Amino acid sequence: MIELTHVSKSYNKGKVKAVDDLTLTVEPGEIFGFLGPNGAGKTTTIKMIVGLLRPDAGRITVEGHDVAKEPLAAKQVTTYVPDFPAIYERLTGLEYLNFIGDVYGVPKADRLERINKWLEIFELAPVVTNPIQSYSHGMKQKIVLTAALLPGPRVMVLDEPLVGLDPRAAHQLKEMFREHCGAGKTLFFSTHIMEVAEKLCDRIGIIHRGRLVACGTMDELKAMDRTEAGQSLEEIFLEVTEK
Amino acid sequence: MSGGARGGEGGGVSRARTLGTVIRVGVRSNFGLAIIKHRLFKEKKDRWLAWLIAVSFLGVVPLFYGVVLTVQNVYDILKPMGQERALLSLGFLAGQFLILMFGIYYVISAFYFSRDLELLIPLPLRPAEVMTSKFAVIVINEYLTVAAVVLPIVVTLGIISRAGVGYWVNAALVYAALPVIPLAVVSLVVVAMMRFINVSRKKDALILIGSILLIALALGVQVVLGRTAGGGGPETNAVAVAKFFTSPDSLLNRIGAFFPPGIWATKAVAGGFTGQGLVNLALLWAVSLGLFVGMVGLAEMLFYRGVVGLGETTGKKRRLTRDQMSRRVTSGRRAVAAVFGREWKIMNRTPIFLLNGTLVAVIFPAIFVLMATIDTGGGGAGKSGGGDPMVLLRAMISANPLIIILATALFMTICGSINGTASSTFSREGTQFWISRVIPVAPREQAAAKFVHSYLVAALGVVTAGAVAAIFLHVKAAHMAAAAGLSLVAGVLLTVVGMAIDLARPLLDWTNPQKAIKQNLNVLLAMLADIGILTIVFFAVKALVKAKLGTGAALGVLFAALAVVAAASYTALLKFADRRYPAIE
Repeated sequence: MIELTHVSKSYNKGKVKAVDDLTLTVEPGEIFGFLGPNGAGKTTTIKMIVGLLRPDAGRITVEGHDVAKEPLAAKQVTTYVPDFPAIYERLTGLEYLNFIGDVYGVPKADRLERINKWLEIFELAPVVTNPIQSYSHGMKQKIVLTAALLPGPRVMVLDEPLVGLDPRAAHQLKEMFREHCGAGKTLFFSTHIMEVAEKLCDRIGIIHRGRLVACGTMDELKAMDRTEAGQSLEEIFLEVTEK
Repeated sequence: MSGGARGGEGGGVSRARTLGTVIRVGVRSNFGLAIIKHRLFKEKKDRWLAWLIAVSFLGVVPLFYGVVLTVQNVYDILKPMGQERALLSLGFLAGQFLILMFGIYYVISAFYFSRDLELLIPLPLRPAEVMTSKFAVIVINEYLTVAAVVLPIVVTLGIISRAGVGYWVNAALVYAALPVIPLAVVSLVVVAMMRFINVSRKKDALILIGSILLIALALGVQVVLGRTAGGGGPETNAVAVAKFFTSPDSLLNRIGAFFPPGIWATKAVAGGFTGQGLVNLALLWAVSLGLFVGMVGLAEMLFYRGVVGLGETTGKKRRLTRDQMSRRVTSGRRAVAAVFGREWKIMNRTPIFLLNGTLVAVIFPAIFVLMATIDTGGGGAGKSGGGDPMVLLRAMISANPLIIILATALFMTICGSINGTASSTFSREGTQFWISRVIPVAPREQAAAKFVHSYLVAALGVVTAGAVAAIFLHVKAAHMAAAAGLSLVAGVLLTVVGMAIDLARPLLDWTNPQKAIKQNLNVLLAMLADIGILTIVFFAVKALVKAKLGTGAALGVLFAALAVVAAASYTALLKFADRRYPAIE
């Protein structure tokens, strides 16, 4: 479960308001899609949830742990996939996974099972002993995803996770999303791909100029839309973000 | 497509304009001018740092003054013998040697490891234009590097010899050309070397070996230079010495015989606007330009072949069996051990980090060994003849056990702390620092792991220097043990200070790994802080001696004081990490 209560964040000494009084709850077992135009505040929100940025105001909790006051407890139940897979290029894929397993304290049996499973699914098994430097962009994205899945986290936060993935891997990732949330876990991700959000998410939030301008299930969003034509998520998105 | 709007491949004016743009962008991006301007004048963030650097440089003024006085004294000695111009030669040669040494690091890193190459190579630019831009950045860096060596000599000599306009104009022109010859030579060798390395699968290992060989070669040059300048060592007889000193400029010619540009530079500056001055200036510039053009020509042919695909490592596809996987998947490792393992592997597998960090801890004592073996005529460690420079050093420090121990400890401490491992430990993570921020490991534990890694490198320097001191300075075992104790505990303090400086302002947005360690201001700030700490220790020792404590008691007090301060600073570092990590955005 993720809870954001009146969260605000600004840059340049308050001149640029990136996130403005955001209040949002993502329930356990829910896939939450976070949409918004470029520069709307998506990545800032995500970085605040995972503790990479400190909010100027408000409170964020993950599984009941205050991110500011109990950062380690919050981090222990959360994993994060950034929009760009900047990882240790000089380590091999397996060394990186071992590092993540060690710092999250994943037991060996779980580690082995999950590593084998995700390496097979993402077709990384033949290259896992090679340096990450030798991986393509998509392979790096996959190893970051595997690392994020390795601790079996209660909460996963992903920033544009489908970018750079081939159609097969994207399909498998979406399957993983469902499996993850089917076990009562929480998944929060940002995307620009409307079809994915529409088909996959239990609820969708649209952020525009730092404010949450729409939030709900697809049906609730459609009900909000006052135009005749507003049937697809894309049309709703365009309408609520045009001002 | 090629050329087109810019008037084809040879479009003179437009190509020159393109080159100008590439150089301008390269310089601005390398020195982060836009960021500095933004931080100082818009965000007003780093103003304290600008003041700190200004104050630090003021602190170097007494050192500069010392150099000026030395130059003046040596000038007074050499002038009656007609040898005063040798001082200029020594300055230029020392400067060019520094350029050669630093140039190896700069050239390899800027030409082959800077990440902006990925942006530059797809642009419609010639390889030579890209390389010229990078060369210009290195030349500017080298101006700053050699300023401390060359300027005090040139300026002091100019003032005390009441030099005319010709001296100053030619000095400026010589200074402008000074880095070109050594850098062009290094670039020619490196470009050729990388062309062959790039076809190999063991690129990192070969780059490392190649770089070490180049550094060894540069050090070898210094040895030969030393032998040449040294005048023949112990076999030199009185007649030869007299002849040598009574023949005007014999010292200059002897020094310069090994590296003629040193003579040309000296004659150009000393000669001013005379025929000799202008001819030598023209010679220096002509050779500089010739080598530069040769390098550009080679770059056009080989540069891209060396650089394209260098970052790619072709790993073999090899699926692990279940058993193999089970063995290689770790378990139960503590977080501190995991972070330490990551630090260790990344440092030792990144050639630029290894060369500038761990290896410096060994190279510095190695330079001392070379200095020790100059003029011994191959006599080596055990030699104690008149030509052995170590004899003088041993005599200087052997008067008092306290001095032996402190001098040895100082040497060991400097060798341990001169590398930038501690003061770049956070910066080296670069854009990957997000991982350290999101993992469930307390910042204090991460800092502790980094401390262990940095301290091990410092200890490597201390131990290597200790071995060198034992062999060449004949330090007794008991004295060595005391010196080692002091330097190992001082090493804790200096490691903590270096880490704290880097933690306060980590440089994470680098595109070239060189920037994270070699060109990282934090490394310089840490060195200045180290000098400050060692100065305080010096005054503390003076106070202990004044208090008439015995050697054992004085050392005991010093050791205890250092240990207390080191332990307190380590505890403070861990607290600082807890406070600082969440604030790094």
